Amino acid sequence: MIETPTAFELTFQPNVELISIVRRFLSDFYERMIEDQDTVSRIALATHELLENAVKYASDGATFLSVKFEPGETSSTVSIRLMNRANAEHIATLATIFDEMSRHDDPFGHYQIAMARSAKRKVGSGLGLVRVRAEGEMTMSHTIEDDRVTILAQTTVTTRRSS
Amino acid sequence: MSAASDLSVALRDFSANVRAEGRSLVLSLSGNADMAAKDSLDTLLPRVHAEALRISAAEVQVDFRNLEFMNSSCFKSFVSWISEIGELERSKEYKIRLLSNPEMHWQRRSLHALRCFAVDLISVES
Repeated sequence: MIETPTAFELTFQPNVELISIVRRFLSDFYERMIEDQDTVSRIALATHELLENAVKYASDGATFLSVKFEPGETSSTVSIRLMNRANAEHIATLATIFDEMSRHDDPFGHYQIAMARSAKRKVGSGLGLVRVRAEGEMTMSHTIEDDRVTILAQTTVTTRRSS
Repeated sequence: MSAASDLSVALRDFSANVRAEGRSLVLSLSGNADMAAKDSLDTLLPRVHAEALRISAAEVQVDFRNLEFMNSSCFKSFVSWISEIGELERSKEYKIRLLSNPEMHWQRRSLHALRCFAVDLISVES
């Protein structure tokens, strides 16, 4: 486990192919500093889903991605931040999803509800952010300033120290 | 109606094919199931479902072991398929067995979520 803060930042106009390339790069990047491969996998999944969300809804296509690793004495924090511009409809949808998440304390239970609802959907899955929270085991929050949306997903990692 | 051998997808970064084994079908997935694979999976899975019903399949195995990743859109395709099976008359129902790769860490959580969605229909093996 690396003991200094490490960050990865990228501003780009993601497309379908780039998202998987970024996910693979991030996996390789964080495998070097996080011993637990399951945690690396959770970070990769969360980053992929958040980027796809941005591709679908960014009004100008431009997206800022930041992934930060902050080591602590007993646990370390990984923060994934996505910023993009969005239209009013998407901002309202996002607010609804976050409101729903705040009303469901159990991320996995909420995920199962969202899955049942998604089964009959013709457009979109409505699962991306809910999956990040449940499968990625991330704490999720968002802020909106005018048309700028920031989504923050965070998780903690147990710090292992060599003796 | 499709024969199992006609059911396949071959994209640059994702492939899927189906073979019959007795009264079972085996759907093998490999590569990267992201947005580029979504439309293909949305087309393929209903055809697999139709073929399973045509041969009165007892089981469909879905082999995820070579699947590097699956996004939520493709995951939703599986949710819709499982939901369809759950709405069948009991006599027409078939089981789904998900074959997973422990080294692909995302599969443990994703396939567990699918199993919990229809615990009577789905089993997971690694």
